[in-house]
Amino acid sequence: MRVILEAKVRKKPFLPIEAESIIPRNFLKGTDLAVYEGNKERKLVDLFRISVEGTAVTPEKIEVVLKGDTSRVKRIGEYMDAGKITISGDVGMHCGNFMSGGDIEILGNADAWLGREMRGGYILCHGNAGHYCASGYRGEKTGMQGGRVEVLGNAGDYCAEYLTGGEVHIHGSCGDMAGVEMKGGQFIIDGDATRPCGNMKDGTCMIFGTVRQMLPTFERIGTKKLPDRKVTVTVYKGDVANRGKGIMMVKGTGRSDE
Amino acid sequence: MTELLIRNACVFDPLNGIRGDVMDIAIRDGRIVESVQNNADVIDASGFLTLPGGIDSHSHVCGTKVNFGRYMSPEDMRAGRTARRGKMHVTSGYYVPTTYGNSYRYSTMGYTTVLEGAMAPLEARHTHEEFNATPLQDMLANTLFDGNWSIMEAVHAQDVKRAAAIVAWTLSSVRGFAIKLTNPGGTEAWGWGGDLTGIRDPVPNFNVTPAEIITTMIEANELLHLPHSVHLHCNNLGKPGNYATTLETFGLVPDLNKNRQTLYATHVQFHAYGGSTWRDICSKADEITKSVNAKPQIVMDMGQIMFGRTMTMTADGPMEFNLYCLHHNKWSNHDVELETGSGIIPVLYSKKSLVNCVMWAIGLELALLTKNPYQCLLATDNPNGAPFVKYPEIIGLLMSKRYRDEECATLHDGIDQRTSISSIDREMDWNEIAIITRAGQARALGIAAQGKGHLAPGAEADLAIYPIRCDDVDPATEYRKVVEGFQKTRFTIKRGRVVARDGDVIVDGANTTFWVNPTIPDEHNVANDPEFVKKFEEYYTVRMSNYPVQDVYLPRGRCIKTEADI
Ligand SMILES: [Zn+2]
Repeated sequence: MRVILEAKVRKKPFLPIEAESIIPRNFLKGTDLAVYEGNKERKLVDLFRISVEGTAVTPEKIEVVLKGDTSRVKRIGEYMDAGKITISGDVGMHCGNFMSGGDIEILGNADAWLGREMRGGYILCHGNAGHYCASGYRGEKTGMQGGRVEVLGNAGDYCAEYLTGGEVHIHGSCGDMAGVEMKGGQFIIDGDATRPCGNMKDGTCMIFGTVRQMLPTFERIGTKKLPDRKVTVTVYKGDVANRGKGIMMVKGTGRSDE
Repeated sequence: MTELLIRNACVFDPLNGIRGDVMDIAIRDGRIVESVQNNADVIDASGFLTLPGGIDSHSHVCGTKVNFGRYMSPEDMRAGRTARRGKMHVTSGYYVPTTYGNSYRYSTMGYTTVLEGAMAPLEARHTHEEFNATPLQDMLANTLFDGNWSIMEAVHAQDVKRAAAIVAWTLSSVRGFAIKLTNPGGTEAWGWGGDLTGIRDPVPNFNVTPAEIITTMIEANELLHLPHSVHLHCNNLGKPGNYATTLETFGLVPDLNKNRQTLYATHVQFHAYGGSTWRDICSKADEITKSVNAKPQIVMDMGQIMFGRTMTMTADGPMEFNLYCLHHNKWSNHDVELETGSGIIPVLYSKKSLVNCVMWAIGLELALLTKNPYQCLLATDNPNGAPFVKYPEIIGLLMSKRYRDEECATLHDGIDQRTSISSIDREMDWNEIAIITRAGQARALGIAAQGKGHLAPGAEADLAIYPIRCDDVDPATEYRKVVEGFQKTRFTIKRGRVVARDGDVIVDGANTTFWVNPTIPDEHNVANDPEFVKKFEEYYTVRMSNYPVQDVYLPRGRCIKTEADI
């Protein structure tokens, strides 16, 4: 079954829409769902042109397709457990929060907090992701615990903060403090990163671009050849300041300031 | 003139010797009276348990320390969210909720008066601002003197009158209610990177000991005739073997006041540990209660812990650093100039941790082994031991051996060797619960005379009517009903007005802040002492003239005047 939601043109396009009800499972019972626009409760149909193709009896068989301007639509896919969501443009903040299964594909850019505290499933973002991509929430000590997040563009600051399990792969570069407070999982950055992995406790972070302002609290423990990447990386352990056992691998020495 | 008649109330009013009589209560203009006219508004209490409004004699709900706990715990704001409803503001937070969250939750549990356990004098304005945003409880502020430089100098000079004069000036300047000593001398030592290991250790640079600070302040307190006694957080909090320090401290306390205790020892659970390390920690509640049972001059509160997540916050900076070394969690420490300090760190009390299980048992043991319920009051040092919303569960545990046994069965096995909780059969009755949650607090804080904690004519009409029929409920077996009953009043009445009903707050609220103003002869007033003024101007970051809290911060302040014997 395909549910196509085409965002209607709004008088106040800047008003955020809180749309945690947009997950495949909810469409098993029809399209009469509620969302908030600013502080007003609205029906889904007030804000989207809805068309449904086919039928389904399980959420795995449901694909929700969002079209039009969805850059201010927040929390799409929150607590999603199965099925697929495809967003043809940009998506607002907190897409895929707490997601535990299924796929989300974003053809445009994602705003902040993409896949925040994710537990399972797969998110693919073709454009750039904002700050706190695949991270935890402010103050919490556990971030993403499982699943995969892949961003083909760049990610903002604090990407994979408190990463605890699962895999995060940024094909472009990350901003400041990537992988800060990592506790587990695997974090791959094809591009550059600034001050990565501060206070890291465990897990693995690989950086294939340039590391700016590498922290002095990582202990060099050797080098390693990665045949599939055809590179040799320097392996660091840390964050020593946090008695961390995390592994950071960086191409070359990783230190642009040396 | 507004009048209210509460019919059919099953009243426990320990201070007036009323034990479960079904009676009517007449209220006029916010006070209890003998009778009202026939056209008074009537509330039918339907035979429900009716008590004076609850009083918390040690809780942290307002001020810089609590607020820093909020800063540090944005994740806590994900819990306890309630939307705006009727007169109720939005609230959020569980262990460090918004001020309105605290106020509403206390109110729906029947609490009408709360003492903030630790206000740094220099940061008093913030505390009073938050008092104003805690509108359903009358508030009082313990004022910190544990590391006050001028006090320590007076102690060193063995000048009790000078210490009393400094207390008087400070309390009236910052609109405080009572003297609080938190790890006396220890927090100051921490300012120099050290701590004290006992009450005979000298404080660096001041050459006074905690014992001297405590005894001098007790004498000063009584010279000033303050309503409350010295309120003490003993040295060595949370350290295995610290019960010895606590006993030694209790041994210092003379019996100086016939109306109330001479020392209020707070959160004694944290000060009743035997053993020498975390591995062999055990309960010494038996020793502590033996001492308290023989010393009417001491009142303590439980400092009960309950399992779950919470936040520790205290003026005891070094203790918080020790906790950080144990948990490696986020933490903070503050220094408050010439006065005190503070620290904050989140904790999780777990049933899997033997240490936590022992702590849990000690709090209950203290309450159950103290013969006179007026000497061990119910508190969790909110939120240090647990958020105050856990009080109903603690009441249930104290009233039911079966409930305790069922809880013990879920705990670490070691608890039976380390504590005596399983062997204690005592089950408290309704009257004792009324004592440890309001009457005892009113007497200990010395505010029964202000009309708090009892229901005699002339008293403030603060009442809590709980949906519990005492005759129908057997607390020993039906403890769930007890817990539920104490969670939500049928009616909470404050100054003769229904403020909460069935868990909803229905008014904006308008509380009062009680503060003391001891009258000091001019020649002893430190504000006239050039040396005191000079020192103040030299070392504080604020001018002395900017230090006192202006009346505008206490729109409904109520001053308790005392005549000092100086
Ligand atoms: Zn306290």
